[in-house]
Amino acid sequence: MSTRTTDRRSPAADGAPAADRPAPARPAPARTGSGTRERLTAGMFLAPAVLLVALFLLAPFGWTVHRSFFSDTRTSPFSWFENYALFASDPALTRSVQNTLMWVVGTVVLPFVLGLAIACMTDASRLSRFARLCVVLPYALSGSAVAVVWNFMLTTDGAVNQVLTNVGLGSFAQGWLLTWPGNTVVMILANAWQATGVAVILFLVGLRSIPPETLEAGALDGANGWQQFRHVVLPQLRPVSIIVIGMSLVNGLKSFDLIWVLTQGGPGRATETLAVSMYNETFLELRPGAGAAIAVVLTVIVLAASWFYLRRQLDVKGV
Amino acid sequence: MSASGRTGSAAPPLARRRLLAGAAAGAAALAAGGCARGASTSAQPGTTSISNDNATWDDGYRAAGRELKKHTGYALRPLSNPSVTSYQQVVQMTLQTSKSSDLVKWASGYQLKRLARAGGLTDLTPVWDAYADRGWVRRASRDAFAYRGKVYGVPLYESYYVLFYSKPVFAKLGLSVPGSWDALLHCAEVLKRNGITPFLASQVGGWPAIEWFQELVSKTDPGFYQRLVDGEASYTDEPARRAMDVWHDFMRKGWMTAPDFDQARGPGALKEGTVGLFLHGTWQASGMSAVGMEPGSGYGAFLLPTLRPGTPRSVIAESGVFAVPSRASSHDAAMANVGAWLDPSVQRVWSDFLQDSSANPKVRASNPVVAGLQRDIARDRARALVRYWEASPPSLVQGNTNDLGGFMAGQTSPAETLRRMQERAGDEWAAWKKDEA
Repeated sequence: MSTRTTDRRSPAADGAPAADRPAPARPAPARTGSGTRERLTAGMFLAPAVLLVALFLLAPFGWTVHRSFFSDTRTSPFSWFENYALFASDPALTRSVQNTLMWVVGTVVLPFVLGLAIACMTDASRLSRFARLCVVLPYALSGSAVAVVWNFMLTTDGAVNQVLTNVGLGSFAQGWLLTWPGNTVVMILANAWQATGVAVILFLVGLRSIPPETLEAGALDGANGWQQFRHVVLPQLRPVSIIVIGMSLVNGLKSFDLIWVLTQGGPGRATETLAVSMYNETFLELRPGAGAAIAVVLTVIVLAASWFYLRRQLDVKGV
Repeated sequence: MSASGRTGSAAPPLARRRLLAGAAAGAAALAAGGCARGASTSAQPGTTSISNDNATWDDGYRAAGRELKKHTGYALRPLSNPSVTSYQQVVQMTLQTSKSSDLVKWASGYQLKRLARAGGLTDLTPVWDAYADRGWVRRASRDAFAYRGKVYGVPLYESYYVLFYSKPVFAKLGLSVPGSWDALLHCAEVLKRNGITPFLASQVGGWPAIEWFQELVSKTDPGFYQRLVDGEASYTDEPARRAMDVWHDFMRKGWMTAPDFDQARGPGALKEGTVGLFLHGTWQASGMSAVGMEPGSGYGAFLLPTLRPGTPRSVIAESGVFAVPSRASSHDAAMANVGAWLDPSVQRVWSDFLQDSSANPKVRASNPVVAGLQRDIARDRARALVRYWEASPPSLVQGNTNDLGGFMAGQTSPAETLRRMQERAGDEWAAWKKDEA
C-alpha cells in the first residue's frame, strides 16, 4: 500500500525539479489479492456471454467440422476429405457455388447502387418521405412473405406473364423460375427489391451527416452537380458504404429463405446456393457429413470475405 | 452522508441483484420446464398421442379415435407438424428420447425400413399376423411394412394413383373414359384442340416429379418397374427409355402444364376446365369435394391405360403407416390402438373422412368414384406396385426426384436424365447394401 502511495505522488511534490528526477515508474500492479479478485469479477461478468457463445456457436461449429470428416454410411467411418471432394465431383455443388457467386455479386451491387441512387434522389425531393416509405417498406417484411408474393408473380401462369400477354407482349412470357440462369437472376432481383430499403436508410443517414459547408466550398470552386457528388459526397459516404457492402456481402453468401420458398433449390437443383445445398444434403438427401462439409466451406468463405473486406476497408479509413 | 443517502446509494445494486436473481430464477424455471417431458407427449388418461404431418387430418383422427375408444378405451390425440421436412427431423430425433409420441405416422417401404434400422420402433409382427388371419391386410404387401423379417408398421391408409377428370367437361367435349392408350391420346388431342391443357404435371414441392415417371414406367412394363425399384434393372434399359420418350413427347406437344403449376390448384383447374386430367393419389378426392365437385357427377377417375394392349394391369399404391416408438409414454395403450386400427368399424369412420380407400381390403369406400376404382382393380387383378417414393432407398429416391424435376424444366434430355439416375442408383444401392451387411 505504501509503495503504491509513494509512486502515485507527483515528482514535484518533493520539492525538487522534475527534470532532475528519474522518470516516474509506471504504477505497480495492484496487490495480488486485489488483482485476482478483479480478474475474478471480470471473469464472472464475462462468463455468461463466453459460455453462451461457446455452447451455442463454437461447440456446434466444432462438432460440424468433426462430422464433416466422417462418411454418411450407416457406420460413419472416418473418411478424410471425401465430403469436401464432392465440390469437385458433384455437378449440383458446382452449380451451387456458381449461384452463390451470382448472389454475392447481385446482392452487393444492386442494393448498393439502387440504395445510393434512391437516397440521393429522395433526400432533397418534396415527396421524399413518401418515396422513402415505399422503398423501405419491403425491408420490414419477412423473407418468406416476400417470396410468396414473388411466387404469385413469377410462376408460368402468374401475374407477370398475364400482364405481358394482356399488353401484347406474350412472346416475352416464360417460365421465370424454370430455366437457369434466368431463375437465379430474377430471385436476385426480388431480393434486391427487399434489401434496397436498408441501404437507402443507411445512405440517408450518411447524407445527413455530410457538412453542407463542404458542398458549398465545392460549388464555390465551380464543381458541377456530378463533380460534387463524385468528389465531395461519395468520399464522405465511405464509412456508410463499407457497412452497406459488408452487410450485403454476408447476406448474399447466406441467402436461403427467398430461394427455399420460391423454388426449394429446383427445378432439379438448379437454383441452390451453398446455404440451400447444406440444408438439402443434410435433411433431404440425408447426408449429414456432406452437409457439414458444405457448412464448413460456407463458414470459411463468409469469414474470409468479411475479414478481408473489413480489414482492408477499416485499415484504409484508419478506423 | 445521511441515512437516506446511504439507502439511496445502496438501492441500485440491490435492485440489480434482485433483477439478476429474478432473471436467473426465470431461466432456471424455463430450463427445468424444457427438460421436463413436454405436456403434449406426456401420458394422458384415455388417449394416445399421434404425431402427424397433415393437420387437415386431425378431425379424422379424432373421429376414428372416438370409434377406437369403444374397442380399446383409448382415443387418438393428434399432434400435428405440417412441415414434412421438419416433421421427419422431429420424429427421428424424439424416437431416441423419452419424449416420443405414442403413435407415429410414417411412410411405408424404404422410408420405414430406414427408420426401423435406426432403432426405437416396436416389433408389430404379432399385430400384423392377427390382421392377416382376419383378412384385414393384403399379405402380399407385408414387405412394404417390414424390415429384416419383422413388421414395424400397420397400414394407416392405402391410396391409388389415378387420373381425375371433370365429368361435365368430358360430357361437353363428347369424351368418355379411355380404355386404351390410343383412346387416351385421342382424349388429349381433343382437350388440347379445345384450349384445355390435357395433363397436370408438376414438380412444385419436389416429390410430384415422380408421379408421371412411376406411372409411365409401370404402364410400360410393371415387372420392369418392380425390378427397377428393387435395384435389379437399369434406368437406361429400354422400358424406362420408352416411358421417358412418351413423357418428353407429351411435353413437346404442350400436353403438360408448366412444371411450376401448383398441384393445390389442381381440383379448381379441373372444375374450371383449364386442365383436363389430374394424375394424383385417390386421397385427392377430399380436395375435389372442397371445390364443390361431387363424386360421380362432378368428377370421375380412372387408371392410366397400359401403353400396349397386352401389358399386365397394375396400379401404383401409396401406404402410410402407424409405428409405435418403443419408448412411447403410453406404450400399452398405443399397442391396443394399433391392434384395433384396421377394425372395419374404425375404418368405416376413417375412410369416410378421407373419402378414400381403406387399408383394410374388406372395407369398401363410401366415395363412389373410389369404390369404382377398387372394383376395377379387383376385377382386372391389377398388380399393386409400391409408390416410387417408398420403393427404393430414400437417398436414391430424393436424388432421382431432383433429376426428374430438372427434366421437367427442360434442363436435361430423357437419355441424360436416365443416365444420371442410373449412376446414382449404382452408388446408393451399393451404400444401402454395404450398410445392411
